[in-house]
Amino acid sequence: MLIWFLPLFLLFLGLGLPVFFGLVAAPGILLWLNGQERDIVLLYRNIYNGMDSFPLMAVPFFMLAGELMNKGGITSRLVEFSQALMGHLRGGLAHVNVLSSILFAGLSGSAVADTSALGSMLIPAMEKQGYSRRFAAAITAASSVIGPIIPPSGIMIIYAYVMGESVAALFLAGIVPGVMVGVGLMLMIKLLANKYDFPAASRRYSWRERGNASLKAFFPLMTPVIIIGGILLGVFTPTEAAAVAVGYALFIGLFVLKSLQVADLPAILSRAAMTSAVVLLLVGAAMAFKTVVSLSHLPEALAALILSLSDNPLILLFLINILLFIVGMFLDAGPAIIILGPILAPIFITLGVEPVHFAIIMSVNLTVGLATPPMGLVLFVASSVSGERVESIAKAILPFLAVEIVVIFLITYFPAISLTIPRLTGFVQ
Amino acid sequence: MKALDLLIAILASFNERCLQIGRHLSIAALAFMVIIMLTQVFFRYVLNNALPWPDELARFCMLWMTGLMAPLALRQGGFIAIDMFQRMLPSVVARTLQLLLWLVAMTVLVVAVRIGWDHFNSGWLFKSSSIKIPAGILSERPMRMPLAYSYLSLLLSVAMMIVVSGELILRHIRQLSGGKDPFLDAPTGPGGA
Repeated sequence: MLIWFLPLFLLFLGLGLPVFFGLVAAPGILLWLNGQERDIVLLYRNIYNGMDSFPLMAVPFFMLAGELMNKGGITSRLVEFSQALMGHLRGGLAHVNVLSSILFAGLSGSAVADTSALGSMLIPAMEKQGYSRRFAAAITAASSVIGPIIPPSGIMIIYAYVMGESVAALFLAGIVPGVMVGVGLMLMIKLLANKYDFPAASRRYSWRERGNASLKAFFPLMTPVIIIGGILLGVFTPTEAAAVAVGYALFIGLFVLKSLQVADLPAILSRAAMTSAVVLLLVGAAMAFKTVVSLSHLPEALAALILSLSDNPLILLFLINILLFIVGMFLDAGPAIIILGPILAPIFITLGVEPVHFAIIMSVNLTVGLATPPMGLVLFVASSVSGERVESIAKAILPFLAVEIVVIFLITYFPAISLTIPRLTGFVQ
Repeated sequence: MKALDLLIAILASFNERCLQIGRHLSIAALAFMVIIMLTQVFFRYVLNNALPWPDELARFCMLWMTGLMAPLALRQGGFIAIDMFQRMLPSVVARTLQLLLWLVAMTVLVVAVRIGWDHFNSGWLFKSSSIKIPAGILSERPMRMPLAYSYLSLLLSVAMMIVVSGELILRHIRQLSGGKDPFLDAPTGPGGA
């Protein structure tokens, strides 16, 4: 009986009830119909207990660090650095866009921040050089999904917390897949550049000029080194690393680059607090939802259903990727992970898939979903940054999405891509 | 209709004021969290002497940051939802559906506030393990903070969300009965992760 909370939840979601209310209302109604009023009390307490968590504090800190870097002129230095390295290639600015996204991903854990920061700079620049606006917006949106794959990553912190995995292991596992998405996009740009004769952005820089650009980008580029290095060496917990990232961003914004003013801070804090509050409430609701998921024996029932389709993990992983991709078309990565993680992960872990590997499959797949029509969040952001219609960006992004889908399947069928670094560093056995 | 307009105006002005205060406190809580955590990092790694209270105090601030900001996010349409189906419907149907969904949300909130009240009151029995209230504020001697002060963050948040939902429900009713409402038609901000 209780198992009916899932269809009810999906109904609420489809009708447009905010995810937070759906996560609580559907299980609540079923518990009430079942006469389990005591467990409704549990629902409320688990929302509270779910939010009252030290590891989760990394979420607001990384959001704040991203906002600070974005505002503090760090973006432009990363773009200059990328231009010095790749600007002379055919399709130079498109390559610069992707490389900047890879670098930006090491500072921020959000695809939306990436699109709005890099898009507002690079889309006009690309247009000026003769690229169509929809192509510029499309490559910005496509490359921004690297943001939450390369650490730090908001969605991986959430996944690790909800599923009880190690944040450090997930962070490390995301590095190679993130770089692979970037390299794949660059290969596609190279193909398109030869076909459509894209311009180079600049002449080739001398090594001396490249050295200068790296010096100017030195402080921003040190951020991922501090975060990942600190976590890896066991110096910081991810939460402390996130707080250090905030302190570091403040320091270089206010004192080194002097591009940030104290008067800017309240607005930045306000934005970070608002996005974090929405996410934290959702995580709390997800923890409450998770208790009902296990009370209802839904994973067992779903596992039986899935196993009746096939007992070959390779085929099941293929099917699950398709399911995740469809979900990602309609739902943001964060909420999707929160809802599906507790339901799907136990099934695949029983089948022998390494938990960290499954986490990466889910995260990368759902993150790519941020850039897929009809409901991709970064498509909307790219549209508002560029002024181009969502529909035309959605068309122009297709070749890049194809690349990303290939990467998803490579990650799925070659676990070593995600697991090698965490294994070498001892975070995964 | 006039009574409805008046009621909405009162609720709107109440919400705007309260939520602005909440926003400022929430900003302060986030800033305070950063300061607390950096202090802890300094004490732990530089002075090699970790303090007992920062972890819990920072969590306390995070709960309040969330609780105070959430009602504002709700009012501004920042709660993540899939509105694709609604956009395919004729506008009258979509508006009726929205009203129904707000009633569902309101029901959730009313049940939550009743449970939250008991949860809050149970918090007087439990004391924080590390946060102390200095002497002279609540009692003559320093005392460990009752967890009720943490629990209050979610209760207050839910209560404030009830008022916000009330305003939005009334606005939807007015809109369905033919009145114009620029607030409801305003584009909502994204609230994604």
